[in-house]
Amino acid sequence: MIKVGIPRALSYYQHYPGWKTFFEALGAEIVVSPPTNKDIFTSGNSRAVAETCLPVKIFFGHVISLVDKCDYMFIPAIRSLGGKAYHCSKFLGLPDMTKAIVPECPPILDPEIDLNKRRHNLRKVIYSLGCHFSSDKGKIRKAAEEARKANLAYRRKMANYVITPIEAIDGVSHRQGSSDDVDLSQKLKIALIGHSYVIYDNYINHRLISRLEAMGAGTFTPEMAHQEALDIAMTRLVGKPHWSFETDIIGAGEYYLEAKVDGIISVAVFGCGPDSMMIDVVQHRAREFKTPFLHLSLDEHTSDGGLITRLEAFLDMVKRRERVCV
Amino acid sequence: MRVGIPHFGNVYIPVKAMAQKLGASDKELIIPPPTSQRTLDLGVKYSPTEACLPYKLTLGNLIEACESGADTLIQARGTGICRLGYYAKNQEQILHDLGYDAHFVTLDVSHHKLLSIMHLMKRVTNNTSWPKIISSFRFGIGKLFALDKIEKVVQRTRAVELKKGTANRIYREAIKAIDEAIEGREVKKLTKQYADKLNQVPKDPTADPVKVSIIGEIYVVLEPFANMDIEIELGKLGVEVERTMSLSRWVKYSLFLNYLGIDEWKEVHKAAMPYLKRDVGGDGWESVGEKVVHAQKGYDGIIHLAPFTCMPEIVAQNIMPSTKEDIPVLTVLYDEQMAKPGMITRLEAFVDLLKFRRKRRGI
Repeated sequence: MIKVGIPRALSYYQHYPGWKTFFEALGAEIVVSPPTNKDIFTSGNSRAVAETCLPVKIFFGHVISLVDKCDYMFIPAIRSLGGKAYHCSKFLGLPDMTKAIVPECPPILDPEIDLNKRRHNLRKVIYSLGCHFSSDKGKIRKAAEEARKANLAYRRKMANYVITPIEAIDGVSHRQGSSDDVDLSQKLKIALIGHSYVIYDNYINHRLISRLEAMGAGTFTPEMAHQEALDIAMTRLVGKPHWSFETDIIGAGEYYLEAKVDGIISVAVFGCGPDSMMIDVVQHRAREFKTPFLHLSLDEHTSDGGLITRLEAFLDMVKRRERVCV
Repeated sequence: MRVGIPHFGNVYIPVKAMAQKLGASDKELIIPPPTSQRTLDLGVKYSPTEACLPYKLTLGNLIEACESGADTLIQARGTGICRLGYYAKNQEQILHDLGYDAHFVTLDVSHHKLLSIMHLMKRVTNNTSWPKIISSFRFGIGKLFALDKIEKVVQRTRAVELKKGTANRIYREAIKAIDEAIEGREVKKLTKQYADKLNQVPKDPTADPVKVSIIGEIYVVLEPFANMDIEIELGKLGVEVERTMSLSRWVKYSLFLNYLGIDEWKEVHKAAMPYLKRDVGGDGWESVGEKVVHAQKGYDGIIHLAPFTCMPEIVAQNIMPSTKEDIPVLTVLYDEQMAKPGMITRLEAFVDLLKFRRKRRGI
């Protein structure tokens, strides 16, 4: 059976169920790299140019960890997921950067996804991707259709059950730790906004979600709200988006601000181009709403100690505000 | 209406020329003071911390324009992938928070460029007639071409002149003279006059300067304040600088010839193909291609300029070392922390390396 390697980084958290369905429907076997660990980080970090952002360095590490375990590496070049909103340059350059940095990498499957072009174009891209596994066009079309449905179901599931992508992929259908709503209402409500590959990669963010839960805060992430609601919130604030991540950051920020959460933590990595602009918009909004806002800029030098101190101080501040307000 | 613009190389000269031809008074077009340390400080103070250098510098310019009384500001906008698309949105908010009630007019630099410029001119001039706009546009563009033509000669002269600094002095005079010219014919005459003057500068007949090409992100490549006069510094080291990118080239192709199906980057993109298959926004694709093209043309080295955290250029930077052409590349990243002596030391070391390689190849 043909083995397809999927690095557990970047778009993985957004699209993995769809990819899995597609490749498995075509009879391929999926190999996913392990969750980020020190080896993966070190191997990626030592090869990439220093200015590259942390998630991309880690991506290379994941690719390196898969090199001799698969026949093909799946690295899509995502330009746009529609609505004239674009992904960051690094997503587009990902297949070619991987080729340059990891020369021993198996053949790369690099479909260019641009939903701004006509449907015909997307169909062609999918066929040329599928023909590595099957020559039956009908089968490829069916696999793609199933994949699309799987991804939509995945997105809805996260919003319906208020769970993280990791829980959704693992097949969990309820929130761990907090099973009923009564429990949740007593906790502090903290919204985390940022890219899915930062919020859910426990190596990058130093287990942020579980730390916050341990400190007695209920966390809400962009994936836990319905896509449509985020889109509406974003459009109201900035109009037509320029980047695909605007729904996840500006949309989620506005949505949770209106939902009157107790505090917002924006999680970004140092040197992120889109974030440097978008976080500013949310911060400005949070000031108008008078909601506490903490911006965490993470990089490979971030240490547990510093992070915990900042989280504790932030939560203390939020708690004190609650008491004063009541 | 008092229109303010940010600085970008010599772009203020053609803009000023157009305004004059359209009969605007001094008060209607506000050119902010030349980009200075103060501009940078202002920009840094009010920008998001991790914004890129072009963002901070243009914000500084716009604040200074507002201080001089501008109420309408022009800023570029692109639907590309880089941060440029967000400049106007964010900067308008920042200026508003600072208490300036300025109105932003954006100039689309990625689609319908010519139309966008024409409409913008019509808008800020209260519906002047089309023939008048077109004739003033032609006059402004004429100045831009003249300046770039002279600059090409300056780049060649700097490396070989006997008395260092002569070419720069003449260039400064030329900029001033062309800025003050009021007739298309006068601009042409001045161009010829200054080109001749530069050609007559005493040169070292034995000099065989090292040839370097400057590539990278368009703003830092073209704005001397942002790149800390890198071309002048290289000239002092006796290096001949070539750079494909220029404003007049952008105008010539993006505004006119691209509509006829002529793509100025075709050759460069083709060269980049084996290493980078697609446009990654900004000038990333062009940077990779230009490295390959210049290696084939026999240049001694490449200097790659980019603002710190520039996304497209990081892609290019990651890919460049893997190309099989054997040519040294020096990447210089600019941000507000950068100091000139640091850059000069790096340039000196790089130029030494290039000279050494040449000598070794000679044996």
